[in-house]
Amino acid sequence: MTDEKGNRAGLLSRATLVSRQKVSRNTHILDFEIDGTTNTPGPGQFYHVDCGGGREHLLRRPLGVHGMTAPEKGAARVRLMVEVVGWGTQRLCALEPGAEVGLMGPLGRGFTPPDGGRALLVSGGIGLAPLFFLASEMDKEGSDYDFLAGFRTGDDYYPALSDLKGNIEVFTDDGTVGAKGVVSEGAVRHIGNGDYSAVFACGPEAMMEAVADACEGSGVSCQVSLTSRMACGLGFCRSCVKEGRDGRNLCVCTEGPVFDSRDVKWNGVRS
Amino acid sequence: MNREFAARKPNHLIRIHDSRPDPLSVDLAGIKLKNPILLASGTAGYGAELSSVMDLGTVGGIILKSVTEKSRKGNPSPRIWETPCGMLNSIGLENMGVDALIDEVLPSLDGSGVTVLASIAGDTVDEYGRLAARLDGAPGVSALEVNVSCPNVEKGGIHFGAEAEATRAVASIVRENCALSFFVKLSAAVSDVARIALAARSGGASGLSLINTIPGLAVDPSTRRPRLGAVTGGLSGPAIKPIALKAIWDCYSATGLPIIGCGGIYDVDDVCEFLVAGSTAVAIGTVTFQDPERALEIIEALPRALSALGVESPGELTGSLRVWREA
Ligand SMILES: Cc1cc2nc3c(=O)[nH]c(=O)nc-3n(C[C@H](O)[C@H](O)[C@H](O)COP(=O)(O)OP(=O)(O)OC[C@H]3O[C@@H](n4cnc5c(N)ncnc54)[C@H](O)[C@@H]3O)c2cc1C
Ligand SMILES: Cc1cc2nc3c(=O)[nH]c(=O)nc-3n(C[C@H](O)[C@H](O)[C@H](O)COP(=O)(O)O)c2cc1C
Ligand code: FES
Repeated sequence: MTDEKGNRAGLLSRATLVSRQKVSRNTHILDFEIDGTTNTPGPGQFYHVDCGGGREHLLRRPLGVHGMTAPEKGAARVRLMVEVVGWGTQRLCALEPGAEVGLMGPLGRGFTPPDGGRALLVSGGIGLAPLFFLASEMDKEGSDYDFLAGFRTGDDYYPALSDLKGNIEVFTDDGTVGAKGVVSEGAVRHIGNGDYSAVFACGPEAMMEAVADACEGSGVSCQVSLTSRMACGLGFCRSCVKEGRDGRNLCVCTEGPVFDSRDVKWNGVRS
Repeated sequence: MNREFAARKPNHLIRIHDSRPDPLSVDLAGIKLKNPILLASGTAGYGAELSSVMDLGTVGGIILKSVTEKSRKGNPSPRIWETPCGMLNSIGLENMGVDALIDEVLPSLDGSGVTVLASIAGDTVDEYGRLAARLDGAPGVSALEVNVSCPNVEKGGIHFGAEAEATRAVASIVRENCALSFFVKLSAAVSDVARIALAARSGGASGLSLINTIPGLAVDPSTRRPRLGAVTGGLSGPAIKPIALKAIWDCYSATGLPIIGCGGIYDVDDVCEFLVAGSTAVAIGTVTFQDPERALEIIEALPRALSALGVESPGELTGSLRVWREA
C-alpha cells in the first residue's frame, strides 16, 4: 500500500473518462485515467465511485475492477464494466469522454489466484466483471482454467470472452447463445467431474451458494465475491456487514468482497 | 452579571491581547476546539479507518461511534438504503464495547492531535452510569456524548430520549459517575424536543447534541418486503436538515446550553445556518460517505464564509437568528 517514497498512495482520486463502449444490451465498459497515484488493483477489488449525485444521491457506488493498466510513466488507467440498473449506473453509462468522476480505491480484498492446477471460474450476469479480470491475469501467468459464464439472454453476452485463453463455456437462460440452462448447474457438473485446484464464483447469491455447496461436497476450495450495499467502503460504518457462518460479522468492504465460501452463511443472507 | 461571567472576563481579554487566538476556535462547554467542525458519531467510526483518507488532526474533534458495555453484533443485513437526499440506516449499534474502546481505540488516537468525544449508549439507566464511570478519566477522552436514542429495556423499549423523565435520569447518572463535560444527544422525533432538552439540563448535562436520525421505512413493492433487514431505520442526510435546524433553535432558545448541531450538513453554508440557529459546534455525518474529506473542505472554507457574513469567529454567529418580533 505504499509507494517508493514510503507514502501511502492516495485512495481518493479524480478520474477522467477516456472512453466508453457499450458492449451488450445493458452493459458498458468505461476506461478512466486516474489523476495522481493509485495502488495497483487486483481482481476482485473495487472502486467506490462518486457518480456525481450531489445532495440528491449521497452514496458512492461500489464497482469491481475489470482491468487495469499502470504504465511505467504517466497516468494509470482503470477499466470498469458497468451494468445499468439504477440512477448511478445509468449516469455513468451516459458519460462522455472527458467527464470526471471521483474514485476511492482500490478497496477490499480480492481473489487469491490459484497456485498451480486447473481452476474453475463461474460468473452469473455482471459477476463477469471481476472474473474476466482474474482470467486475463491468469492468461498472463499461463494458468489453466475453465470459465463458465451465464447470461440471461444472448443480448447480454460479452463477445470479448472469446479473446481469453482458457476454456470458455457460455450458458443462457433461453439458449440464444451457448448452452441453454443456468450456469450453476453447469458448474456443479464440472466440479463433480473435474479435478480443480480452486473455484472462483461471482454472481447472484443463489448461484454462488450452489457452487459453494458443490465445492464443499468435493473438498475444493471456493472463493466467492459477495455484494452488499455500502456507505463508507472503508470498514467503519458497518453498513455492508453480513452474518458469517460462525456467527461473526463479515465486513464486505474490507474483509471482502471476496470470501472463502465456507465463511459465508448462505441461508439467511438477504440481499 | 453573575460571578461566573465576571471571573471569565479577564481571561478572555488576555487572550485577545497576547496571542491572537485562532479565529476558528470555539469553547464548547469548557472544551477548547481548534474549530467548530466535528465528525459525527457512527459516520467516522473509531477514527483509524478514516485516517487513511484524511488527517484527523485538522478537525475540531471526532465523536466516536457509540459504545455499549458489551460489544454488539447489530442488525441483520441489509442495513442501509439510499433515499432522496438521504439514507436510511439500521446498523443497530454494532460496536466493540467500552473495554475495547479504552484498550484499543483510545491508544490508537493518541498522537493524532484530535479532540475525542466518546459516545455511550445503554439499555438501562444503570448501564449509562457504568459506562460514564468507565470513561471518566480514560486517557484521551475530552468529553462524552450520551446517545439516548436507544430502547429503554426496563420501560418496554420506549427510547430514553422520547421521555423527559428517562432523559433526566440518564443525564443525572452520567453526571454522578463522571467529571467530564457531556452532551445529551437528542432525537427530534418527539412532540416537544425542548422539553426533553430541559430535562437533560436539569439532570446536569453540559450541553446538547442534536439531532439523531429520524425513524423511517422504505418498501420494495415488488416483493412486499422492507428494504432493511431490521424493517425500519434512521433517516439522515440533507433531507433532515430543516428538522435539525428547528430542533436546535427550539433547544437553544429553551435551555441556552451549548449545542453540537448535526443533521444533513453538506457544505460550509449549511454550517453557517446551524451556527445561526444556535449551535456552538457542528457535526458532519452522512456526507462523509460521499466525500471523506468534506469536513476538511468545510474547515478551509469557513473563514471566508464567516467574513462574507461580516463576522470573524464562529461564536459570533451562534444563536444569532433574528426572529421577527412584534414592536
Ligand atoms: C464489491 C462490489 C462490486 C461490484 N462490481 C460491479 C461491477 O463491476 N459492475 C456492475 O455493474 N456492478 C457492480 N456491483 C453492483 C453495483 O454496485 C450496483 O449495481 C450499483 O451500486 C447500483 O447503483 P445504481 O445507482 O445504479 O442503482 P440504485 O438502485 O439506484 O442504487 C441505490 C443504492 O443501492 C445500492 N445498490 C444497488 N444495487 C446494488 C448491488 N447489486 N450491490 C451493492 N449495492 C447496490 C447502490 O450502491 C445505492 O447505494 C458491485 C457491487 C459490489 C458490492
Ligand atoms: C451509518 C450511521 C451510523 C450512525 N451511528 C450513530 C451512533 O452510533 N450513535 C449516534 O449517536 N448517532 C449515530 N448516527 C447518527 C449521526 O451521528 C447523525 O446524528 C445523523 O446521521 C444526522 O446527521 P447527518 O444527516 O449529517 O448524517 C449514525 C448515522 C449513520 C448514517
Ligand atoms: S461500507 Fe462501511 S463498513 Fe463496509
